[in-house]
Amino acid sequence: MTVVFLDSSKIDRLRNAMNHDAEFKLAARYMSEDILLGADESRCIVKVRDGLVTEIKPDPPSEDHWSFSIKATAESWDKLLQSSPPPFYTGLNAGMLRGNLQIMGNMEVAFAYLWAMNRMLDIMRQLQN
Amino acid sequence: MLKLEAITGKYGFVTVHGVDYRVYFEESGEGIPLLCQHTAGGDGRQWRHLMNDEEVTSKYRVVAVDLPYHGKSLPPESVEWWKEEYKLTKSFLIDFLVEFGRALGLDRPVFIGCSMGGHLALDLALECPDKFRAVIGFESAEFTPGLDLIWFNHPRISGEFKFANLFESTAPSSPEKYRREVGWVYSQSAPPVFRGDLYYYSVEHNVTGQLHRIDTSRIAVYLLCGEYDFASTPEMCRQAASQIKGAKYIEMKGLGHFPVVENYELCKAYLTPILEEITKIR
Repeated sequence: MTVVFLDSSKIDRLRNAMNHDAEFKLAARYMSEDILLGADESRCIVKVRDGLVTEIKPDPPSEDHWSFSIKATAESWDKLLQSSPPPFYTGLNAGMLRGNLQIMGNMEVAFAYLWAMNRMLDIMRQLQN
Repeated sequence: MLKLEAITGKYGFVTVHGVDYRVYFEESGEGIPLLCQHTAGGDGRQWRHLMNDEEVTSKYRVVAVDLPYHGKSLPPESVEWWKEEYKLTKSFLIDFLVEFGRALGLDRPVFIGCSMGGHLALDLALECPDKFRAVIGFESAEFTPGLDLIWFNHPRISGEFKFANLFESTAPSSPEKYRREVGWVYSQSAPPVFRGDLYYYSVEHNVTGQLHRIDTSRIAVYLLCGEYDFASTPEMCRQAASQIKGAKYIEMKGLGHFPVVENYELCKAYLTPILEEITKIR
């Protein structure tokens, strides 16, 4: 199954769901960052401005910049995005600590918005399943 | 008529390493003393379900203290704490718990602790086995290095990081209201406290190669770990228990790093037989 953030038929629904989610809006307040999401060799950039997701851009060119990246294998994303994820896949910190995903780049920003990013995962789970 | 819980709270004074501490503690029930240790960056509220469980409090006097700097226990008045980095040391933690129990007149209490408290269960069994009749450690391990991270006390990262981080330490099947409560309590600790406690949890607590010295004829040892715990994993806890002759280990399915908070009813199914068994210890 294609990971939701790489599925062109679901990208608009994902962006819309995040922008209408009460918890995401609260957690992402003041956030203006670009986040690179990667599954195996496929990538997209989630652009957030003032707490709103303005664009989910598939296959970004190499010259694009981002604040931080969240990368995992497609197999790991499958587990992360299960409606009830297995042990060590419950969130970004769990996945990172146990080596199931990598967060790289500006870690200060990544951790400042861990709540928003984990809520983004929850919303992805709803659309993935 | 105001509906009341059975839990009562009091303040008391404990002197440790020459410093006077005014500390807050709660208690409930009568019987065998059961001394509860909260997690790093947490406080005694984490034991509220246990302390309101009549099946426990009919046999046990359950006591939960907020360590100094935690919950309603303020920093000591005689220390200029604002000029030094807060760090919880192993010697302070052991000496504080032992002295608090002694001052309160607890006779060889049963110790129960989670996470940092689970690690402490092992340290107490090694360092002062005759002061406790049993230890129950949730999420215990020999050594959990690498978690003493600057992000847990950073001027540009708010308590929301702790809220999110500890929420995902719970099992997805636990009731959401209690999973959120775990995060809420964590987001309330003073900025340096969680990381300062992790100095004990992730640096000073290291009993690698020592656990075979624990004599379970002097102190009973029970270790339990939640299936979803990614900080001190079931394998790490099982490995610790395997080195203690006579210790009992249980993996708790469907629970995470905070079993007594996130899903007490499920946790109770694992804990009740242990508490029953301990009532037979003299």
